[in-house]
Amino acid sequence: MARTVLDAAPAMPALFARAALTARGRGGDLPDTRLARVGVTADPAQLADYARVCRFPLSDALPLTFPHVLAFPLQVALMTDRAFPLALPGLVHVRNRIEADRPIGVGEALDLEVWAERFATHRSGATVDLCASVSAGGAEVWRSRSTYLARGASAPEGAPASDVDVEVGALERPAAQWRVPDDAGRRYAKVSGDVNPIHLSGLTAKAFGFKRAIAHGMWVKARALAALSGRLPDAVAVDVAFRKPLFLPSTVTLSTEEAGGGWDLAVRNATAGTEHLIGTVRPT
Amino acid sequence: MAAPTRKAAIVGGNRIPFARSNGAYARASNQDMLTATLDGLVARFGLQGQQVGEVVAGAVLKHARDFNLTRESVLGSRLSAATPAYDVQQACGTGLEAAVLVANKIALGQIESGIAGGTDTTSDAPVAVNEDLRRVLMELNRAKTVQQRLKALAGLRPGQLAPEIPRNAEPRTGLAMGDHAAITAREWEIGREEQDELTVRSHQALAAAYDRGFFDDLVTPFLGLSRDANLRPDTSVEKLAKLKPVFGQGEGATMTAGNSTPLTDGASAVLLASDEWAAERDLPVLAHLVDAQTAAVDYVHGGEGLLMAPAYAVPVLLERNGLTLQDFDFYEVHEAFASTVLATLKAWESPAFCKEKLGLDAPLGSIDRSKLNVNGSSLAAGHPFAATGGRIVATLAKLLHEAGPGKRGLISICAAGGQGVVAILES
Amino acid sequence: MSDWYRDFANSGVGTTITKQLGLPRPAVLRRHEPGQPLLPGPAVVGSAGEGRLRDELTRLLRDAGVTVVSPATVDGGTDGDRLAAVLLDATGLTGPADLAAAHDFLAPAVKRLAPSGRVLVLADPPADAASPAQAAARQALDGLVRSLAKELRGGATANLVQVPLGAEASLAGPVRFFLSGRAAYVDGQVLTVTAADVPAGEDRERPLTGKVAVVTGAARGIGAAIAKVLSRDGAHVVAVDVPAAGEQLAQVANEIGGTAVALDITGADAGTRLAQQLIARHGGVDVVVHNAGITRDKLLVNMDAARWNSVMAVNLQAQLDITQALLDTEGALKPGARVISVSSQSGIAGNRGQTNYAASKAGIIGMVRAWAPEFARRGATINAVAPGFIVTEMTAKMPLGTREVGSRLNSLQQGGLPVDVAETIAFLAQPGSAGVNGQVVRVCGQSVLGA
Repeated sequence: MARTVLDAAPAMPALFARAALTARGRGGDLPDTRLARVGVTADPAQLADYARVCRFPLSDALPLTFPHVLAFPLQVALMTDRAFPLALPGLVHVRNRIEADRPIGVGEALDLEVWAERFATHRSGATVDLCASVSAGGAEVWRSRSTYLARGASAPEGAPASDVDVEVGALERPAAQWRVPDDAGRRYAKVSGDVNPIHLSGLTAKAFGFKRAIAHGMWVKARALAALSGRLPDAVAVDVAFRKPLFLPSTVTLSTEEAGGGWDLAVRNATAGTEHLIGTVRPT
Repeated sequence: MAAPTRKAAIVGGNRIPFARSNGAYARASNQDMLTATLDGLVARFGLQGQQVGEVVAGAVLKHARDFNLTRESVLGSRLSAATPAYDVQQACGTGLEAAVLVANKIALGQIESGIAGGTDTTSDAPVAVNEDLRRVLMELNRAKTVQQRLKALAGLRPGQLAPEIPRNAEPRTGLAMGDHAAITAREWEIGREEQDELTVRSHQALAAAYDRGFFDDLVTPFLGLSRDANLRPDTSVEKLAKLKPVFGQGEGATMTAGNSTPLTDGASAVLLASDEWAAERDLPVLAHLVDAQTAAVDYVHGGEGLLMAPAYAVPVLLERNGLTLQDFDFYEVHEAFASTVLATLKAWESPAFCKEKLGLDAPLGSIDRSKLNVNGSSLAAGHPFAATGGRIVATLAKLLHEAGPGKRGLISICAAGGQGVVAILES
Repeated sequence: MSDWYRDFANSGVGTTITKQLGLPRPAVLRRHEPGQPLLPGPAVVGSAGEGRLRDELTRLLRDAGVTVVSPATVDGGTDGDRLAAVLLDATGLTGPADLAAAHDFLAPAVKRLAPSGRVLVLADPPADAASPAQAAARQALDGLVRSLAKELRGGATANLVQVPLGAEASLAGPVRFFLSGRAAYVDGQVLTVTAADVPAGEDRERPLTGKVAVVTGAARGIGAAIAKVLSRDGAHVVAVDVPAAGEQLAQVANEIGGTAVALDITGADAGTRLAQQLIARHGGVDVVVHNAGITRDKLLVNMDAARWNSVMAVNLQAQLDITQALLDTEGALKPGARVISVSSQSGIAGNRGQTNYAASKAGIIGMVRAWAPEFARRGATINAVAPGFIVTEMTAKMPLGTREVGSRLNSLQQGGLPVDVAETIAFLAQPGSAGVNGQVVRVCGQSVLGA
């Protein structure tokens, strides 16, 4: 296992540009690489902007999804490395599971480590999990697993079947309705650094095969969790599946239902009912 | 030392006629309306230059400049400038909550008299600058160097010039109040016709009350309006049946512009006092504010209707006062929407709701509908959010006074944010 | 609503022009201001025959700080101050021959009368005369005073007060009123006093202190002026008007520290409701001013029933009903209560297009006279005031020609002001007016109409 510690977060636009240029000619198995940063603290200004865009209350604890923003550049760097078998453009985020052992304080120095694992077979291609682990004071406090689907790709021989489903209840009653404006992708890109072109504008999204720009899955997840602010367990696992893309602009509903000591969630189109996100929140 | 408490007397009230949004009061501000309402009250009770213990009022839609709305209104009124005042806001419950606050201070002996009120305008509502523009401007304000200023200004975009008009939507759910009420109406299977019937009754009752002079000493005309502009004495179930639903979706949609309250401008005020204060001035005591209760429901994630909180508040109030739902001579249930009133009544009649949600062995039961909103309510008068409580308190107090001593009335007001304020008045 | 012509005629260039053209020169009337002395100059008291009031009048004047000069000084003299008032005690008349003395006294005195001066003649009522000759002499004064009023210029007025034997104690209040600026627009009138218990020790500046007065139609115009004057004189005013006028009513009430009551006086229970409220909130009422009135003008042949009925209901029936309710409700009318009804010149002289209005206003006069004995028995009074051409928002809307002609057809050559009506009403409301009952006082500047 190769572990590389970076001094700073890699520049995301450059990574995305490199990813686009080096999309062809990839293959093989997952690299055994781990990227890490140590002693990272959240930038208060970025945190405030992130909280506002996702509707989290600004507090002394990081939003549950915020460590993902810290770890994501490392994951992108990993995926854009030539050793990574799948081309980043065209990867679709299909599932994200976050586990937090306790709330993380805003000022805590965090050690981040990311890696890829579980190259798996999916009925329409292959999936790979990008994992992140966040430690504070030497103890792991937060971890996440993002499953990406590469359509048409194939996993190596003997790869396991991918696991992208999350089970939720019927969730018939909408708790809230959101108008998601057409600049929702640009706003989240600005605060998260995820400048994937499919989120930024209709034009750039079309270049990658989407009819319109689509909302970031992690923004939808963040906003759904923000709606449950004050009602989440301290030690918690949040597991969501991203279903149909949420095209911008849209009006969607959030449905919530108490389940298993936590919540079941669904974000759907307000008129057509198309499912964008379903997920579970469970105490751990 | 716990001081013995006493019950606050309701001496009387005043309001200006309620206008439809962008109607007669299109150019009037909340402060204009509240000041005129206070002056009408002052004229009615000869309070010129007098100092009352406290004036408590509020507005739901409020400009930044109105940070001290009530005190500014007092200063503009004929009351003594030495009368203290403060603002409160509990959405549509503001007016009743203000009355409860004043009554409580009177009960504790902290004040001898007080005025509770509320005002709201949807015509002169605060329009905020675009949130992004506001941030740029705030950044600019914080900037200390030229570079910082230039950087802040670089954030300007033409699109930010579009102002933000306040929407009548719940911040946490993004749903209009009417949409929420429509969900509740569907859940409680409230039919279109019963909603329209309730609406017609409200209009007819309000018109009849005006005709018999009931409001002569409760209303002071303002800007040429002498009756509530929303009042349609000649409306009928047939006419209302022609209206298209505006809230809810599909076949089951029942809520129209007719059986929902329109956006309204107006203000109201109620004079409360200790019995002694009233007696010293030969002022009448119409009724006493006996007790009050608030409740709130989880309308976001808890599966309860946004406007159902009064259904929870009333049993608590009844229990504390050893009363049943039937022990009242008058019921004033705020008609935010006709369906809201009907759903609330249905909830109290429902054994399942009363057992599962209220934890009661038996349902609260039904009420005698002939005692409900006998002089009309918000469907006919309109509903300037914070002004509705004062309208209802004064109306019920006078009704009880007319009916004679020992009569009892129940007020139930639902409010945004899933809240409810209820109170008992006795003559 | 300023009188542009009067202002012009009293301006520098206007004085010259109007004098040379022989145009009427309406004077700026002396009106009452709080703190003002009763008269701005000396007065003279004369008599025709052996009168019984001369000493009393002299004492009254001196009490009020007025310098009383001797008739001898006046006669033929040209020096000294001009006279602010000329009072003639004519209670000694036995026959027409005694009138010569009246002439002898008045002619030189009136010659020296100051602008806005007052001529006040006091006599016995002709009906009480011992002989036809005495009655003739007493009645003759009527013609004398009315003619003299027409001759006077510069805002001066002449009035006659009839004092029956035994009613002398009732005299002071009316005399002070006629001499004061309160009576600026009361001219050429005859007022008869009766014997009554007149309370002593009245506060001259604020004679209505501690009194509760209700004024109907108080939201605007004459009603608002009445409310303000009664308040200025010390009364707590309960201002009544229709609910629709509530906004202006509240303003009036707030300006004078009164109480606003929105009430349709034609309502079936209006009188009872008002009575109950007056008892509950104010412990009863001392002064009731029936001022509310409406016009619905049309020639009789074109007048529909609605116009007729509404004017009668508001202007006359409501006054009858409310007064009756106040009389019937124990404790509503306080001892020594005063009821004052606003009638109109139309009710005396008639007016084209106003059969309904004039009928209602004439009816008021009948009502007041009929009720006077009952009120007297209660130690109370009921009187009417009949305004002439009063400059209000209503007259401001009249065509210029009609308005100018209307306002000049009187001895003072100008329209009156709402405050003139209000001052007369305030006078009738005073405790000192206990001996004025069943009277109709015209506030018309001695209008040529119905005189």
